[in-house]
Amino acid sequence: MDAYDGGSDAPREAEAEAAPEPGTGRPTDMPSAKDPLPGAPAEIADARLRPEPGHLAAPAPEPRTGVAALSPRYQIGAALALAVVAIAVCVHIGMVFLHVAPSNTVSKTHGEAIDEYIYPEFEQNWKLFAPNPLQQNIAVHVRADIRAADGAERTTGWYDLSAQDGRNIDGNLVPSHTQQNELRRAWDFYVGSHDSDNRSVGPRSALSEEYLRRIVVLRLERGGAAGDGGVIERVQVRSRTTNVEAPPWSADKVSSTPVFRVLPWWSVPAAEAEGGVK
Amino acid sequence: MNRFSLSVSAVIARVTESAFGPYQTAVIRIGFSLTWLLFLLRELPHREELYGPDGPWSWELARRLIDGNGAFTALMWSDGRAWFEAVYGLAVLASVLLLLGWRTRTMSVLFMVGVLSLQNRSVFVGDGGDNVLHLMSIYLVFTRCGQVWSLDARRARRADEARARGERVTDRVGPALWGVFGVVLVAAAGTGRFDGDWTVPAILWATWAAQGLWWAVGRLTTSPEPRILLDVITNILHNGALLVIMAEACLIYATAGWYKIQGSRWQDGTAVYYPLHLDYFSPWPALGDLMSASGTMVMIVTYGTVLVQVAFPFTLVNRRVKNVLLVAMMTEHAVIAVVLGLPFFSLAMIAADAVFLPTPFLRRMGGWVVRVREAILSRDGAAVPEQRDARTSEDAEPSRVGFTA
Repeated sequence: MDAYDGGSDAPREAEAEAAPEPGTGRPTDMPSAKDPLPGAPAEIADARLRPEPGHLAAPAPEPRTGVAALSPRYQIGAALALAVVAIAVCVHIGMVFLHVAPSNTVSKTHGEAIDEYIYPEFEQNWKLFAPNPLQQNIAVHVRADIRAADGAERTTGWYDLSAQDGRNIDGNLVPSHTQQNELRRAWDFYVGSHDSDNRSVGPRSALSEEYLRRIVVLRLERGGAAGDGGVIERVQVRSRTTNVEAPPWSADKVSSTPVFRVLPWWSVPAAEAEGGVK
Repeated sequence: MNRFSLSVSAVIARVTESAFGPYQTAVIRIGFSLTWLLFLLRELPHREELYGPDGPWSWELARRLIDGNGAFTALMWSDGRAWFEAVYGLAVLASVLLLLGWRTRTMSVLFMVGVLSLQNRSVFVGDGGDNVLHLMSIYLVFTRCGQVWSLDARRARRADEARARGERVTDRVGPALWGVFGVVLVAAAGTGRFDGDWTVPAILWATWAAQGLWWAVGRLTTSPEPRILLDVITNILHNGALLVIMAEACLIYATAGWYKIQGSRWQDGTAVYYPLHLDYFSPWPALGDLMSASGTMVMIVTYGTVLVQVAFPFTLVNRRVKNVLLVAMMTEHAVIAVVLGLPFFSLAMIAADAVFLPTPFLRRMGGWVVRVREAILSRDGAAVPEQRDARTSEDAEPSRVGFTA
């Protein structure tokens, strides 16, 4: 395990720096044979301080720990534990590898077993800005049908909720998940569970609709869109996708015309419209 | 014996007699718990919106999703406000105590419960940083991450000193904690709260049973062998989990790197320009403009990113090269934290990177921390701590009885 710098070619100056102070233990993985053990107190002269197996010529005065200290009967137990853990580690790393690797011969054949193992707790995705970074700004807009306190109906203009998020993130050293992830990922969730005509694909589409609706209603309530005594009766969501301009030094030309995707109107349940979402 | 079997037996001796990387596991323990703690504190004003029963991702929506996937979250045990607040509070508390290394094993379990409960409750608000913490909180449970830089290590040292003076040391907190967790586990299982996926409940039961066994063996057996065997098994588990943590870090970099190679923007050297111009990842638009002013600069950073990510796992065979890349990656993550506005993701990745830091460096870093603390304390006129280094023989001493297993 060279990653611990436990090898024998540790730089001398690093060792000198790390030379143990009196009464101080030494790390497991420092080479032990090069500089003999200091006059360490007995209680720290534990198993870890003994020379590595490669240097068995050095005296090993303390009683052994580890498997060597066990009688054969117990050694079987230790060997069994070692075998079980070794297999578990190999299986786990193998499964995670197959889960993150591109679809391949093995993962196609054993996809079900891999999913069974990975989900729900070991799910992961490390395609960070890969294979290509997102090159579009996708903004989520919302407008609402409001019934005012006097019973008059009106439709609001479009509110750009993503621009709100953007403003909250600007100059912010610690953006909140509510600003950076909530709406953005809710939209991804919606897009992922609907086709381009907003028809549901997959069992989670209803969840994504309700989630998105609750987010936009919350934002509208917070913004006071309904006015005093007004009630949000229906909401409509749309997205506005704009390409990020190509870099100034690039010859690429991208369209700067935004593309809109307009979702159907959704009616808002009464409880939700009255501040049910917090 | 030939050389092969000799080296095999040497390896077996090493992985059974000691828990590798005491400083590395301590630093990731501190790193991950600190990241999660800072995140929880930062989101304190938004906790209800993110994880509360009436948030946009309501308890009912979460129930419909979790009924399908069986993910573990204590937040689904009740839709009450008080329960939510209690779980959030416990998650904060577990982070603090794991950070300090108080009853490290138990706290690592509680930390895992906190992380999974909140994240699995609202899977759609997380990002890569949450994903790292999610996995690492599970792996940490299997490590002896409190061997150094922890209150446990200090307690063990004091107990050893007391024993050396001939005093009797009894631990009451450990059995009490164990009893409380036993009651909670039985209650949760008895009321069907563990009916989802079995992974996390199995970990909870297994750690609880192992701690009980550890205590019973220390108390009731006269032969040292059962205790040594438990110690050996604990070391094996620790070393296996440490290997998994390192492999996980390598998989993260390998995946991030190899998929990038296939992307046209990473090939033409403009990729880094784009995130800097996304509204959601540009807290400092002026800084982004500045960084993308030079096409050559952007290309160097773009290629450098891919190169470092792809190369990292392979550099583990050479310490010097590995350390150079480690510095590069930690620096890049520190930059990402500010420039892309991803502080918690970056902090989690830096914590994961830290598992590869060299021991001499970590020890020196520990020394600096101690000196700073002493300087502050002596300025306040308080007594200087008697011991400079927290490392003790806690885990290696099989005669020790306690709940740190």
